[in-house]
Amino acid sequence: MKLRYDVHNKYHRFAIRSAVTVASLIIFIYVWWIAAMLANKSVLPTPYRAFEALLHLIKDGDPVQKGRTLWSLIWLSILKLGKGFGLAFITALPVGLLLGNFKLFREFFSPWIEMMRPIAPIAWAPIFVILFTVGNGPVMVVFIGIFFPLLTNIIFGVQKIDRTLVDAARTLGASDWQIFTKVLAPSAVPYVMNGIKTGLGVGWMCIVAAELYNTTLSGVGYYIKFMIDCSRYDYAFAGIIVIGILGFLTTGLAECLSRVVSKRMGVDIR
Amino acid sequence: MFIQSCFQKDGGRHTITKTDDENQDEHSFASEIYKGTSKEETVMKVNHLRVVYHTDDNETVAVEDFSLDIEKGKLISIVGPSGCGKTTILRCLAGLLQPTSGEILVNNKKCVSPGSDRGMVFQDFALFPWRTVRQNVEFGLEIAGVSKGVRKERALKYIKAVGLEKFADSRIHELSGGMKQRVGIARTLIMHPAVILMDEPFGALDAQTRNIMQEQLIKIFEQSEKTIVFITHSVDEALYLSDRVVLLSKRPSIIHQIIDIPWERPRNRADPEFTNLRKKILDYLAGQNVIG
Repeated sequence: MKLRYDVHNKYHRFAIRSAVTVASLIIFIYVWWIAAMLANKSVLPTPYRAFEALLHLIKDGDPVQKGRTLWSLIWLSILKLGKGFGLAFITALPVGLLLGNFKLFREFFSPWIEMMRPIAPIAWAPIFVILFTVGNGPVMVVFIGIFFPLLTNIIFGVQKIDRTLVDAARTLGASDWQIFTKVLAPSAVPYVMNGIKTGLGVGWMCIVAAELYNTTLSGVGYYIKFMIDCSRYDYAFAGIIVIGILGFLTTGLAECLSRVVSKRMGVDIR
Repeated sequence: MFIQSCFQKDGGRHTITKTDDENQDEHSFASEIYKGTSKEETVMKVNHLRVVYHTDDNETVAVEDFSLDIEKGKLISIVGPSGCGKTTILRCLAGLLQPTSGEILVNNKKCVSPGSDRGMVFQDFALFPWRTVRQNVEFGLEIAGVSKGVRKERALKYIKAVGLEKFADSRIHELSGGMKQRVGIARTLIMHPAVILMDEPFGALDAQTRNIMQEQLIKIFEQSEKTIVFITHSVDEALYLSDRVVLLSKRPSIIHQIIDIPWERPRNRADPEFTNLRKKILDYLAGQNVIG
């Protein structure tokens, strides 16, 4: 069998790729189906049951809490993700630029960072829910999940800056501030984008995990937990599918954006 | 703070600019004729430059007592054995590196930091990849606060001067090495620096492109009456281009010899005088490298 393919026609290539993707999805569902049949337990519904529940969810909303639609669930999760992300971005950016540029700061703070970074963000969830209230706890979990990948990417980006570009700007008369705004900031952008990309993936994981705590009372994660408590596993799986699709869309969007930005900045960091 | 250049901030650089441009249009190649005969005015003066690098447990003297007068309208190249501190000297002249002792004067004013009165062209081009060709050339004017329209107009003029008018809106990664360096040269020329410092500008180019760029540089040099300090590994390039060759010894560099090149341009590389002088210099450099 030929496992390598090399096709030069653009449409031809696209057709092959689409066919492979479709086949991959079909086989995925097939495997799921077999597993569900073999297990024969309500806790692992067949794909048919799960998608049926998903359709109901899309059409009629939450079967238990009347009046709550799928979209409002998704919106509540995205809102928390957005808040956590925004907070992480506005704090990581200045801190990253500072630590990237000044060795003393970097050396002082790196033990803090290296200690905090490996802690799974979700480990903070029970504490943050108490510390920052039920509404803001998950936001803070997202914040901590995104902050570190973003920070380390920015620090790395600032240190990778081509020093001759700074020299060139200086010989053309640029002041320290002009060097910062016209040379350092634009050269760090692709690295920031890379940080955003990893951050969004982690953030999406964090938000759902944080919502699984009973106390949070909103979002897709909470919905899944609630359905499991009600033994409606088919609806829980519908929620899991929604998370998978949204996660896929988020990282796909970030990837696209980062590619466009890298191209625009003329820097390829991959 | 970097703009503590040797000119006053409000100084007449742009007025000087205008006259320069007019001259360029009217006289073009005429300058060649009286270049040698006009009284020689020193633009840049280097007095007893000494640079010491400190490492953890020892210090290396990179440059020892380097003094040089650079006259207006001359192309001076600095040649020396590998690792002799040529680039160190040029970085000092640009203000990017503080010498351990000694001073650098441009138009009788002491220079302590980089400024747009000394333009620099880099070996690896040092162009901003997120800017187009035109935006790269405009950079210095943008820094100086020149308005958008004027900036664009002047940038296009210099882009045309280096033959890249079709590529004004191209991105840097779309250009070949030779084209990139032409952008680098235009970016420096547009600032009308008193002296242009070139750090092995053609070192990263292939031999053919290098020859083309040498011809172009001579053309630009003759038309704009610029003063150029040129660093190169290539003795051939130095002899082909310069009015004066400064030959350095091995580290710690001192000036071994200053050679005035009397030949008219364009020069013939196969001329016996040319080849003789080249051989002499190469022999000297070879000796320096072996001992070092």
